[in-house]
Formats: sequence, structure tokens, C-alpha cells
Amino acid sequence: MPGMWSVTVVVAVVVLLAAYLLWIAHRVARMHERAQSAERALDAHLMRRAAAAAVVGEATQNVELYAVARLALDADPDERESAENDLTRQLQAIRLTEGDPATRTLLTTSRRVVVARQVHTDLVRGALTSRERLLVRALGMARRYPRPQYFDIEEPVMPALPLPAAPPSQAAPLEAV
Amino acid sequence: MRIGIVSPYSFDVPGGVQNHIMDLAEALIGLGHEVSVLAPADEDTELPPYVVSAGRAFPLPYNGSVARISFGPVSTARVRRWISRGKFDVLHVHEPMTFSISVLAVLSSRGPVVATFHTAMTRSRALSAAQGLLQMVIEKITARIAVSELARKVQVEHLGGGAVEIPNGVAVAKYASATPLPGWPGSGGSLGFLGRFTEPRKGFDLLRTAYVALARSRPGLRLLVAGPGDRDELFEEIPADLHDRVTYLGLVSEADKARMLRSVDIYVAPNTGGESFGMILTEAMAAGATIVASDLDAFRRVLDGGKAGALFPTGDAAALESLLGSLLDDPSRRASLAAAAGVAVSAFDWPRVALRVLEVYATAIEATDGRVIDEEWSEPPSGP
Repeated sequence: MPGMWSVTVVVAVVVLLAAYLLWIAHRVARMHERAQSAERALDAHLMRRAAAAAVVGEATQNVELYAVARLALDADPDERESAENDLTRQLQAIRLTEGDPATRTLLTTSRRVVVARQVHTDLVRGALTSRERLLVRALGMARRYPRPQYFDIEEPVMPALPLPAAPPSQAAPLEAV
Repeated sequence: MRIGIVSPYSFDVPGGVQNHIMDLAEALIGLGHEVSVLAPADEDTELPPYVVSAGRAFPLPYNGSVARISFGPVSTARVRRWISRGKFDVLHVHEPMTFSISVLAVLSSRGPVVATFHTAMTRSRALSAAQGLLQMVIEKITARIAVSELARKVQVEHLGGGAVEIPNGVAVAKYASATPLPGWPGSGGSLGFLGRFTEPRKGFDLLRTAYVALARSRPGLRLLVAGPGDRDELFEEIPADLHDRVTYLGLVSEADKARMLRSVDIYVAPNTGGESFGMILTEAMAAGATIVASDLDAFRRVLDGGKAGALFPTGDAAALESLLGSLLDDPSRRASLAAAAGVAVSAFDWPRVALRVLEVYATAIEATDGRVIDEEWSEPPSGP
């Protein structure tokens, strides 16, 4: 019964190959979906930062800050990166005091932008790497997904803050400098 | 939030990564989150209530020391069971580039995974050999944290990825509430040093020179030294008549370290280089000591540019001597430096550091299922 054996072997090979290809396709899909999710999250956090910056700009009567924040909120996709960079630079130039809720929101949103940008960059890199595989390209596994794009902005870190409020347990008074 | 944390190393043996994980878990629980820690441990080991054992650990030479890890079918089954029962919102693994349950957990996970890199050494040789496995592990990690700039740099260079830098925290309350050693700090003034005193870059020679000179004119001045090393080697270089004024504790436990730091008036960090982050400084600050440190970048940053501790030119024993002398004569300046240090160190307190980690968790969740998290992590919990 050699015919029987060869059929079994062929079926087994086909099943294994199909499972392998499905597994690769699943990984490619997951990488792309994550990159897309990260992009939406980054977009949301940039919006929040710009909105918070506009509030602080208005409250402190900082016309320039308010203007760049508005520009970042309204920027077209192709101008978005430079508009966000302008906002980052403007934020790095101002002196913040951690006190009022608007400033705290601005600091929180800025920190979230830093993390969201880092994660987005890493996930885009991962998705692009998965597209490069020979098998993936040959079978067009990534065709369903648009090519993920890096969002190329400067590291949006805020300058060092004034010292945080003293911990409640041992509120040591700061000596006059 | 339900958080699952995986420790690659056994809790039977103390270590930096294990301490980090315990402090983080306790801080997160304190912030109102549900935390479960999975770690290798022998059956009879007493574990904190939030730790689940992943089975026995066996010793494995790793990175110059011996780590106790577990890996194999039994561990795999336990890891999978822990993950499926835990229903975690986020899985946080540590040192995922070593052969350990961290790798098993990453591979078994379906949701968001955050990975923390501690050492600058990024992957074991065994894992580098298994390139495909390494790729699968990296692919599943959603967000990465590096505890130091060095760890982050190695990340970028070797793994082709970035990382959010979040330094180690300090459990400020543990240090602030430690009991000083009996008879310390005493009234004649006391200086402290912790570290490998034989290692030139730790700069102990500078402190010894300064101490010997100061001790001649200050009959009550004592020196407290802790850290690994040979007792005879330490005393060899100190004049015999000062031997009874120098105390050597040897290698100390975490609890004794806190007590030791509480026992000195001035903690001296005379390092001549090589410190990426002044962890020991933040601990001494938390313990309420006045800090004297070399003017290294890392130290200057931790000490808020010299406001939270006194700096002396790196490697200058004469400058160290005169600085220590003036501080020993001026208790009110010491007190004001220590008070400023107490405020500065609160930025490194674990609850604050845990809030940064929570922001990374939120980002990882956002990147996995697309929802954007509204919760305000940065607000400390309400209450007194």
C-alpha cells in the first residue's frame, strides 16, 4: 500500500504548511493592528496635550502658546509633525509651576505623549519588519494593511519640574536658599 | 486594574530585580490595584501574600553570578494556568531576554505585555542561538521600560527598539522609619560609606584619607563602613590607634542597610566615576542622612544640582576633608541639606514611580485593543 502512505504524507505536509502560513499571517495581522491602535492612541494624546496647552495659554495670557496649541489642534495631516514640534518647543520654553489643575493636566498629557510616541515607534518598526519577510511579501499577506508610518517628532519631554510637593508623611519645610 | 507581574528569579535569594518587583507590587497595591506576582520558589519558602509560586527554581550561572530560575514543562503549565486564571488587564514581565518564566509568560500571553529591562546585558547566549524564539518574544512585547539610561541604550543598539526610561524607586518609608544601630550616630559625629571599598572607582581611598586627617582633630569622629570585602584589608590601611573608631559591618541585608544609613550623620559617596544612577544616594537621602558626594553628573542630578546634598570636586581628597570638616561644625547646615534631600527624594518614592509605570501599562493596553484610557493615573489617591 505505498499509494496510501504517500497520500498520508502529502496531506500531513500540506496541513503543516497551511498551519505555518496561517500562523505567520496571524502574526503579521497582529503587528499591523497594534501599530494602528498605537497610532490612534498617539493621535488622541497629542490632541489632549494641545487642548491642555491651549487652556494653560489662555489662563496665563500666553498668546504664543495659545496660538501654537491651536495650530497643532487644527493642523492638516501633512503639517501635523511640524506643528507638534512647534508646540513641544514652546512648552519647553515656558516656566511651569506645578500648582493649578490646568498645568497638572498639561504635564500629565505631555508625559503620556512621550510614552505613546515611544510605543508607537516601536510597534511601527515591528510591523515594518514583519512586512519585510520574504514569505510575507511573496504571498502578499500584508496587502490588506496600509504601510504603517512613523510619526516623526522630536522627543516631547518637558523640562525638569520644580520639586514635587512634599510627601504628606514628613512635610519637611524647605530651607530658604 | 488587574496586573500580573512575572519575576524571572527566585524569591529564595535576595537580589535587585526581586526587590524591585516586591516594591513595585506593594506600591501598586497601595494605589488600589490588584496585583499577582508569579515567581519561582521552593515549596517551603515563605512568600508575601501576592506572590504565586511557579515551581522550584534551579541554579543557573548567569551574568557572573548564580541566578535561580525555573524553565520546563511543569513551569509552562503553571505559567499558563496563572495567566488564564488571572484575567489580567496587563502582564508585566522582567528581564524577558533570559531563559526564564518571563519568556514562557510572554509566549503564553494574548493581551498587552510590558517588559522591564534591568541589566545592560540584554539576552542570554542560549536565547541568541534561538533567533526565532527571540523574535517571537520581542514581537509580543507591547511596551518596554528600561531602568537606566545604559539599559535603554543597549536596548536601542542590540534589539533595535526603544524603551521608556523609568528609574528604580526607593521605598522612602522603609528607610525613614528604620531604627539606627545601637549607639549610633552618637555625639562625636559619624560618617558612613556603603559599597565595595576595594574597588578604585568607588573612591573609598579618598574618604579614608579625609577621615584619618579629620579624626586627628576630632576625637569623637567615627566611620561606619558596609559592603562586601575583607575586614583585614580594610583595617590594614587605617592607623592602628583609629581602629576602635571604625566599624565594619560586612555585606548587609536590605533591612540592615536601612539601619546603617540611619546611623550616620553624613553619608559620603566619593565615587570617581561609573555610577549610572545614584541609587545608594536616594536611599541615604530617604534615611535622612546629610549627603556628601563627588560632583558626578548622575549625583548632581539626584541631588538637585547640589541643593539636596553637598558636592566636592571628583577625586579631590583635600576638598572632601575640608567640606566634611565644615559640615561637621555646622549642624544647622547639615539639617537644612537633609531636609532638602527629604523633599528631593520624594520624586523617587515608589508610589510616584509606580504612577509612571501605570502610564506605560495604559499605553500598552491602548496599543493592544485600540481603546484610549481616560483614567487619570497621575493623580495620587485621595485621602490623608
